[in-house]
Amino acid sequence: MKNLPKQSLPPAHDTLHGFHIVWRRAHGRNGLACWLAIPHQRRADTPALVAIHGIQRGAEEMARSFAARAAAEGRVVIAPVFDEAGWTGYQRVVQRRRADLALIALLDELALEGLVGKRPFTLFGFSGGAQFAHRFAMLYPHRIDHLIAAAAGWYTLPDRHSVFPYGLGAESGRQAWGPKFGAALDRFLQLPVSVLVGTLDNLPDETTRSTPELDRRQGRDRLTRARTWTRALTQAARARGLEARFRLHTLADCGHRFIDCVRDGGLVDHVFAPPVPLDACTTALAA
Amino acid sequence: MSPAPNPTARTAIAVSPLALAAQAKWAFSTRRVRQDRASQLLADLAQARPGDLVLGRIVRIGFQKRLQLASGRPADLYTGDLVVMACGARYAPDQFEGLAELDADEVDILAAGGVLGRMRERNAKVAAPTRVAPLGLLADAAGKVINVGDHALPPLQAPTGMTVIGVVGASMNSGKTTASASLAHGLQRAGFEVAAIKATGTGAFGDYNSFVDSGARFVGDFTDVGMVSTYNEPLERIEAGLDTLLAHAAAAGCEIAVVELADGVLQQETAALLRRPVVRDHFAGLMFAAPDALAAVGGCAVLNAIGLEAFALTGTLSLSPLGAQEAEAATGLRVLGRDELLDPAHASALLAGLRAPALKAAA
Repeated sequence: MKNLPKQSLPPAHDTLHGFHIVWRRAHGRNGLACWLAIPHQRRADTPALVAIHGIQRGAEEMARSFAARAAAEGRVVIAPVFDEAGWTGYQRVVQRRRADLALIALLDELALEGLVGKRPFTLFGFSGGAQFAHRFAMLYPHRIDHLIAAAAGWYTLPDRHSVFPYGLGAESGRQAWGPKFGAALDRFLQLPVSVLVGTLDNLPDETTRSTPELDRRQGRDRLTRARTWTRALTQAARARGLEARFRLHTLADCGHRFIDCVRDGGLVDHVFAPPVPLDACTTALAA
Repeated sequence: MSPAPNPTARTAIAVSPLALAAQAKWAFSTRRVRQDRASQLLADLAQARPGDLVLGRIVRIGFQKRLQLASGRPADLYTGDLVVMACGARYAPDQFEGLAELDADEVDILAAGGVLGRMRERNAKVAAPTRVAPLGLLADAAGKVINVGDHALPPLQAPTGMTVIGVVGASMNSGKTTASASLAHGLQRAGFEVAAIKATGTGAFGDYNSFVDSGARFVGDFTDVGMVSTYNEPLERIEAGLDTLLAHAAAAGCEIAVVELADGVLQQETAALLRRPVVRDHFAGLMFAAPDALAAVGGCAVLNAIGLEAFALTGTLSLSPLGAQEAEAATGLRVLGRDELLDPAHASALLAGLRAPALKAAA
């Protein structure tokens, strides 16, 4: 956790808000450690919130930031740690190591411990975590009840004009992931998706990926790219006759720091807001 | 006037259920039967129907050196062992063909899962079957012969809304069960509630246990719906059995079923089933398991001739990169190996591809 004074975060055991924070170590070579925010009164009928960190690896910060609101709803927060040593490139889900399998294994273990059930979960990701989150949801849309992608650096577009991971076109070689990510596109496009990004996250920085093709298709900064992706999802859904349940929320006066988006941009409110219902598809596309 | 003689009553011998349970090896094919029902032994073997329980004694060990027990483990067989098996037929090109008929002196073990009958044909590569002296048919206290069908799952109509993926093949031992279990496992890991079902074949625990080990939420085969073997069974009964298995899978919460049809697509029951609505209207797709490229091409041609098309190839063919390349080039279908089917991302994508038309139609 960087740039954040400890005293600004909730304590590990918060009796007032009814939760405790737990560190769970990784088990096995491909296992993931995680931070858990466990409500004292869990409700089985509410979805777990799985929060994926960015390349700053601020998993604990996420678990603590969401803990009180989640506890009020009886929800468990799971913030896995894709550590720097073992999980470079986890954002792309299947390239290098299989981050998707690691998350599935973690959820299986937590299910055995009674912390998560079989029902779909809410998947949140910030920055690199948002990259992971939207790609994981493309592969396994049936496991997700609400996708919240915040401040992703760039996206996999829902078309075959570009090869994976930029789009769903097949890469060269036998192991072509693009079509596999696109196979369940119909179901993915039926998910409620909230796209969050700070209004000040409108300039490329040293971590913003840039290639001529990426910049041309998605824009040069995260705000533009979020708009591009939301618009692309909406168009893809409508082309299939599906209701578009995607909403872009810009976080006023926020840049690319998670904690700023929490403190100043109301990020937590957006994460816990009900997703767009099926029959209320007023997709808010920013101009 | 004196009552007409009752040959069944005349030849009935009381047996102790406790002694039977303790002394006899009960085969896998009898696993649904309540053993404490057995209280009489009827000598009238000529009246045996498929599924009737037979008490016998091993007289000569042949091909089957072990019996698959109802408890799920294999048991070594010894000459003199008492065994309880079911009368049934078998169709197995790699082993035996046999009928559900019992000779009074000696009968053949047609399948190690516990199927007794009369061998008609034998593959030249295998030894003669283990022989059993039948002591009689097991009956309950009322003199009714116990049949595995008495303990079948209650019949139900086929469910709606379930995605059914069929696995067929070129022959016995072409890799259908490995493919079915692998796909069931991959889908289960991806988070789906999956059923693994064997719709046709001969009762044996190998395939059944593979399905259980895959993690499928519901596992069932034709023995669960009262058939020791589907060979020579009426097609309507096999169809109704599959409907019942699918319905019980749905009741157990499964949304997807992987259904294996035994043997090759030329086998009589499998070939007939592929022409029936239960497959044509309800299966979302068929995967074809083949041992080599030529079998894959031939199998696809057989399916095409009856208006069906596999969505992928699999089976032992997938172990050979060159064979797989030949098959893919000749058929235009992907060859899916075990690793791909086990992978939740691949399995999930495969399922999505099969479901896509329905989704589009719904939209």
